[in-house]
Amino acid sequence: MNARKLLYVDRRVIYLLVAIGALVPIIRPIGLPTVPTKPVQQLFNKIESLGPDDTVIISFDYGPSSEPELNPMAQSILRHCFQRRVKVLVMALFPLGGVNMAIDQLQAVADEFDDINYGVDFVNLGYKDGAQAAMKRMDISIESLFPADVNGDPTKDMPIMAHARNYDDIAVVISLATGIIGEYWVNLVNAQFGVPVAVGCTAVSAPKYYAYLRAGQMMSLLGGLKGGSEYEKLLVDKYEFARELYEQPEIKITSAMAGMDVQSIVHVIIIVFIIFGNTMYFIMKRQEKAR
Amino acid sequence: MRRTIPLVITFLIGLYPIFAFFVPHGSISGANDWLDSALVIVAAFALPLGTVNVVMTNTTKLKRKSRGWQYSIVLLAGLTVMAFYGLVGGTGVHPSFQWMFVNMVSPLQATMFALLSFYVASAAYRAFRARNVEATILLIAAIIVMMGRIPFGDMMTRGMMTPLSEWIMSIPNAAAQRGIIIGAALGAASMSIRIILGIETTYLGTGKD
Repeated sequence: MNARKLLYVDRRVIYLLVAIGALVPIIRPIGLPTVPTKPVQQLFNKIESLGPDDTVIISFDYGPSSEPELNPMAQSILRHCFQRRVKVLVMALFPLGGVNMAIDQLQAVADEFDDINYGVDFVNLGYKDGAQAAMKRMDISIESLFPADVNGDPTKDMPIMAHARNYDDIAVVISLATGIIGEYWVNLVNAQFGVPVAVGCTAVSAPKYYAYLRAGQMMSLLGGLKGGSEYEKLLVDKYEFARELYEQPEIKITSAMAGMDVQSIVHVIIIVFIIFGNTMYFIMKRQEKAR
Repeated sequence: MRRTIPLVITFLIGLYPIFAFFVPHGSISGANDWLDSALVIVAAFALPLGTVNVVMTNTTKLKRKSRGWQYSIVLLAGLTVMAFYGLVGGTGVHPSFQWMFVNMVSPLQATMFALLSFYVASAAYRAFRARNVEATILLIAAIIVMMGRIPFGDMMTRGMMTPLSEWIMSIPNAAAQRGIIIGAALGAASMSIRIILGIETTYLGTGKD
């Protein structure tokens, strides 16, 4: 056996196997079980404890590159809030498409609920530049920072704004973040103004948030597709409407639970390759020593 | 004078919010609130500044016919068309802007990000080698975390992988992250003090026209 030859296998072989590993579960879903973890459960419990008199901020702090990981998370959290009739302020502090993600996701989810009204139960405040400066300003007045919503309509006439004067009225801030904006919410809004903050982030940025989570500066962390799938699982287990919704093919295919099938297979392929590579590495070293 | 006035402004504007943070009296915080509003406006100016920079860099590339100048045409055309619809109808509501975003920008960026899985798989195969003790520890930790992120891990180990992976993320990883975060925060604080006190003046430029 030529270990050296196997060790330097053509990278196209790896690409091909990853492509097959990603495609097969999309065509034939496996439906692997999902077990919710404590950090995800904490946000679910928090929203469960809220009602029509409570207001939450959902900040779309990500762009299209993080869409596959964070869209399912955004949808399940919005569905949960609307189901509980919690008032939702949607905003975007990420410049590269955050507001467009917000428009897209909000529109898709709000259409599923007949008895919620724009300006009363939810509002899209649009994009504001200068993330930290905007966050600081919201402690004084949210309406003064967003005098008009995403459509250009004045916010001062909207009933929802009476429930969202400043951070004193906000039950929790949920930042769906790529990059540093999630950290700003934690180390500015939580640390200075004491507002509970939950962050839903891509899997690659999750490690840095564990320091804040352990320190109690964050009440919850939803890391990547796994975090999203755990939230969906909690929603599906609790609510009949969610169970039916996530059975619909067009929603099922884009859900985090379906995405976990793909992630699982690709992770296994990578792990197998790592183990195979190391085995070949040691065999090659032994062969070279023997020579 | 050209250097002194900006330094004095920086000193006063930099010091005032710190003062207001510790003295939250109405007479002090009023001016601080105004500064917060001004900060949002100043931050917004970074966007046109960035746009001007992108346009200048790419037009220069076009003029000189530098390598890959064709991509600059695509970039400038995209920038002009998106900016036009954005300025005409607002980024939020104009259907053409949102259509281009959903059907062009979004799939392109998602594709770029999706390609990472192929490169990560290839890089992991080539780079993750148990060459020494440190590399072996890293390798084992990586495999545990990867297995902990998928249902297979728990199925194969009777539910051991998720708690083990969470422990790695919550204890050793959080400890290392804390070190990085505290270090970066101290660096930012010391840089801020240097700027406020006028020790660090590179933001003023070199003084040459």
